[in-house]
Amino acid sequence: MEIEHVKGKIMEGMPGFPRQYGPVRSDHQPGIPFFPQETARDFVLIFLLVAIMFFLSAVVTPFLGPARSPQISELIVPDWYLLFSWGLLKVADIFPQFTIGAGTPLKTEFSAAFWGDLLSGIPVIFLLVLPFIDRGREARPAKAPVRSAFGVAFLLAWSFTASLYSIREVVAQRWQTPNGSPLIDDIAMKWFFVIPPVLVGLTSYIGLRRLGFAPMRRWLVPYVVGLTAIVEIQAAAILLIPGWLGPQVRPYVVELGVFFLVLLAPMLVSSVAVFAMTESKARKWIVRSGVASLLVFAALTAGLWFSSTANRVGFVWVLSVLEPSMNTLLLFPIFAVVTAYLGVRRPYSTYEYLLNECYQCGKCHTVCPVTKVEDDALGGLNLVYNTFKKQHDGVPLWTCLACDACSAVCPLDIQYSDYILEERSKVHARMAADGGSRE
Amino acid sequence: MSTTGDIREDTERSIFGWIKSRFPTVPYADLTRVVLETDQRQLPRSHAEKYELKTIWYWYPLYCLGGIAFVAFVILTITGILLGFFYVPDGRLELNPTTSDLTNPAWNSMLVIMNEIPFGFIVRGMHHWAAHIMIAAVFLHMCRVYFTGAYKKPRELNWLLGVILMLITIMFGYSGYLLPANNLSEGAANIGINMTRASPVIGDQLARLLFGDINTLTGVYILRWYWIHVFILPLLGTALMILHMGLVWLQGVAEPH
Repeated sequence: MEIEHVKGKIMEGMPGFPRQYGPVRSDHQPGIPFFPQETARDFVLIFLLVAIMFFLSAVVTPFLGPARSPQISELIVPDWYLLFSWGLLKVADIFPQFTIGAGTPLKTEFSAAFWGDLLSGIPVIFLLVLPFIDRGREARPAKAPVRSAFGVAFLLAWSFTASLYSIREVVAQRWQTPNGSPLIDDIAMKWFFVIPPVLVGLTSYIGLRRLGFAPMRRWLVPYVVGLTAIVEIQAAAILLIPGWLGPQVRPYVVELGVFFLVLLAPMLVSSVAVFAMTESKARKWIVRSGVASLLVFAALTAGLWFSSTANRVGFVWVLSVLEPSMNTLLLFPIFAVVTAYLGVRRPYSTYEYLLNECYQCGKCHTVCPVTKVEDDALGGLNLVYNTFKKQHDGVPLWTCLACDACSAVCPLDIQYSDYILEERSKVHARMAADGGSRE
Repeated sequence: MSTTGDIREDTERSIFGWIKSRFPTVPYADLTRVVLETDQRQLPRSHAEKYELKTIWYWYPLYCLGGIAFVAFVILTITGILLGFFYVPDGRLELNPTTSDLTNPAWNSMLVIMNEIPFGFIVRGMHHWAAHIMIAAVFLHMCRVYFTGAYKKPRELNWLLGVILMLITIMFGYSGYLLPANNLSEGAANIGINMTRASPVIGDQLARLLFGDINTLTGVYILRWYWIHVFILPLLGTALMILHMGLVWLQGVAEPH
């Protein structure tokens, strides 16, 4: 190569130039060469990105509306990344408006716009102080469930619902009852700021703790049963308290009852499942009831919508009861069933999850008593790493004492003996399933 | 005047010597060495590659989001320079003499870019979509850093830089859709002015500083945000981006594990 030639002819041996460069240098960690491997990969990505941009700009020409004029007639919606701020500005009028320091130079007016400024500043301040609040050492999302659940609830769900509120006028115009009032009223939209993020956060927390192998019934039972109770009480109140349903909805009370039943059934099944069933059984029943209810709900919706105009009107009246309470009547069933499933589901790839943090420090090997007496272990590297690589260190499954000396010294807190015990229990389970005979 | 015949000796007396005494050649040999070393640089193997860990592959695609944002920024710079040749940053209202509609030079120059300049619509399209991709990539990059806990010690400072860069990116986007001087620009400028004016004590002064006036009637906000969009934000953004990536270079990538 040209570089080799230059290096050999000109540089090598000149005063101040070391003899060896690049791969042969002993102080370099061998890895992927920057050129051409790394650059080739980068250019594939760059070309793909540019191709996507060309495609988009050829197919979706950016919109250029009419020239600006002081009269704005249509609804102004900013680009998607500022919708959250626009939504917060619109919701800001729920806060008390007052003035402090009137008559002084520091007069501060807590107007809706100023509240909007303050609310938009909250995410920024949170992001700025984050590294100084969260000083834990865990990096994996599943090992830091509080941080991760908060992130899902705040960064994703809350930003989304705040953005959604910025198009409240569109929502109010787009979905209406037959007599022209909005299906999703402003109060339901305002509760969107609170209820969905909290539900998302709790569900993520339970799901992530489960991913980290925690038994989650203590959380599941109050959560799922509590949500079920709230939906039950609300449904009963709507159906039984006279005067709750308007005169237009009265004729469709049977359809409404059927919808309540479809929403409540999987919640009730999930409540029983997380309260009383074994995990494998609970898992099955939660999935079955959830899927069945989803299918029935879709079939009912499609059936009422497409069968006849009268049915469609009836369906919209049913929706006019469900939608204003959608935070409870529609979201609670979904979150109850999904959380119940996430909380009892079988954590995947236990083995890899537990062991793959090992970076071969070898401390476990040093303290392990078994490796001192097993001939196999003399040349071994270390317990966790070799187990992960499916090579044993002379501590195969049945010679481990489960003394936990390895876990005590592990800098990454890998619970090796937990893994050993779990593997043993799996073998026992298989033996039991095979009628007690060894495989 | 005696000469030795050696150019090194006659430095001050020949044209070549005059140049050589000002631009000595020896340091450039060192530069060549740097180039050689860079060319043969090897990326250090990651934790996962070193120990052949197969289970965390799903994190890796998320580690290119910052790079995607940077590539989008480069494309934005190129297309922005091209658009700058034709865009007129003048938002003052005027009457179209033939149709007597309200218009303004900025919006008219957008029409020229979209309809008359060869490939103008595609350059503007690239600028538009690269902006969306950059903001999305920046937001997702922030989520990745958050969820993998990559902001922890020793990378707190780089996280703060990243937050500032995200705000700069959002300001880029906001100023970008003010510039076409269309309906959206008018509405967004009004919202921006009102939000700025709502801040206590310095509200009106701040609005005058950022938007040129406390309302959009004069249209001077277009020129003001044009300068912020093409000079102040790129200057700040590029400097902080270099710092941001320099810190990654120094501190290493926070690997998934």
